Amino acid sequence: MKTTLTALMLSFFTLQLCAQEAAPNPNDFDLVTNDDYTIEVVVPELTNPWGLAFLPDGALLITEKAGELIHFKDGIKTLLTGVPEVFARNQGGLLDIKLHPDYANNGWIYLTYSSIEGEESGAHTALIRFKLEGTAITNIEKLYKGSPNTRKAHHFGSRIAFDAQNHVYFSIGDRGARDENPQDITKDGGKIYRLNDDGSIPSDNPFVNASDAKKGIWSYGHRNPQGLAVHPETGAIWNHEHGPKGGDEVNIPEAGKNYGWPVISYGINYSGTEFTEITEKEGMEQPIYYWVPSIAPCGMDFVVNSAYTELDGDLLVGSLKFKYIERLKVKGNKIVGREKLLDEAGRMRNVVMGPDGHIYLGIEGLGIAKMIKK
Amino acid sequence: MKFTIICSALLLLLGLRFRESVSVSTEIYTIQDVLEESMERGAEIYEDYCIQCHMGKGEGTAGIYPPLAESNWLTPERIDEAIAVVKYGQNGEIQVNGATYNGVMANLGLYEDEVADVVNYIANSWGNSGNKMVTEAYVKTIIEE
Repeated sequence: MKTTLTALMLSFFTLQLCAQEAAPNPNDFDLVTNDDYTIEVVVPELTNPWGLAFLPDGALLITEKAGELIHFKDGIKTLLTGVPEVFARNQGGLLDIKLHPDYANNGWIYLTYSSIEGEESGAHTALIRFKLEGTAITNIEKLYKGSPNTRKAHHFGSRIAFDAQNHVYFSIGDRGARDENPQDITKDGGKIYRLNDDGSIPSDNPFVNASDAKKGIWSYGHRNPQGLAVHPETGAIWNHEHGPKGGDEVNIPEAGKNYGWPVISYGINYSGTEFTEITEKEGMEQPIYYWVPSIAPCGMDFVVNSAYTELDGDLLVGSLKFKYIERLKVKGNKIVGREKLLDEAGRMRNVVMGPDGHIYLGIEGLGIAKMIKK
Repeated sequence: MKFTIICSALLLLLGLRFRESVSVSTEIYTIQDVLEESMERGAEIYEDYCIQCHMGKGEGTAGIYPPLAESNWLTPERIDEAIAVVKYGQNGEIQVNGATYNGVMANLGLYEDEVADVVNYIANSWGNSGNKMVTEAYVKTIIEE
């Protein structure tokens, strides 16, 4: 009796211990430090440079999360006018910005932000497109607005990417309603969306014929995706997303597929307790890579035709938490190695492959920096 | 035996309900009630705005996100500095419990009553105590340096 009790207590104690931290990734790679690179600040004095786009004339468009859209050229910052009001609380604000692939001919610029538009108080993620005339943004077209608004101020997503057919993809996080939104295709949040470039729903979207579904959904079961990029060779869309305590993921989201949040996860609650016991389930996709502990990934891009050919084809991911750039070595659709670049360079908010062959980074409390080889 | 326990539990529950209804109908609130209500609201704000970095029990992450549990900032001597961080954000090197942290905490965009609530929650949880209740009016007096 006594031994049974002790054994019981011991196993209880062990369970408690296990639950404090998420289980490590058994297939993980060593994170090897690579000191070959450094940064050069190109736009100083920014607080939270969330999004970045390169205009053909060499100017940069930078979103500051607090709600400013900055035009930067020849050392001069100009605040653009006409920017919609944003919900600038916690993770909300002005988010990603991307030029249309055919910008040279059509002039469209795409923007996501935390929009207060709607009857309910609070906010939800919106996608708009606009044109630039002088220092004003004009011709604003609303392409998508998540609903209903909520006062929850976390998990808005959001990143924007275009595929070769000019579909626009963007992400919305679960909006703090983990148990309501991500698994329900009739609700916004916890999804990656795919629209035609004018905001209409592509006829081959996976849920166009599902009754009551949000027809813009491309994939679901996501937590808070803040990285989205198109693979330079396969053309497939890749994303990463924040897990809770452990369980940040890289996925290659496919049409109509369920990425499992919060039914399956490699993470645990912030309090150390578990919210799910399972990491796999039929009908739910496994990530191609996951991080334990969480690195808090934000921003990512593939390295293509770069000034550092040794990195070409690999994926660079920003780490907010550990203040470095993670190089994920990519082979086909697999991650085959990890490196830590730019150790301690700052809280990485954004990673963009620039037209000049250099990687540009949005670093909190610093600005926009260019990654250069030492 | 079991019956007694159930009975006492029922009585206790009834007693609590009774106490609640009395205090509501006569509007006798103690400072303790007001603080507890503020902390309850603060706990919700904490889960939305703070938990992702400072974690579920205020333990933070060693060397990266400073702890809030048993923190030397959440004491009567330094509570004003803590309020300023919650109200305005923080950038650069700081010392917490003798360890150095050099990070960025964005301005959270909280309203002043929300700052008061979340500070009341943090300053009275996880081993922090001895702090006076923070009010919205008091948060107004804290100005960024």
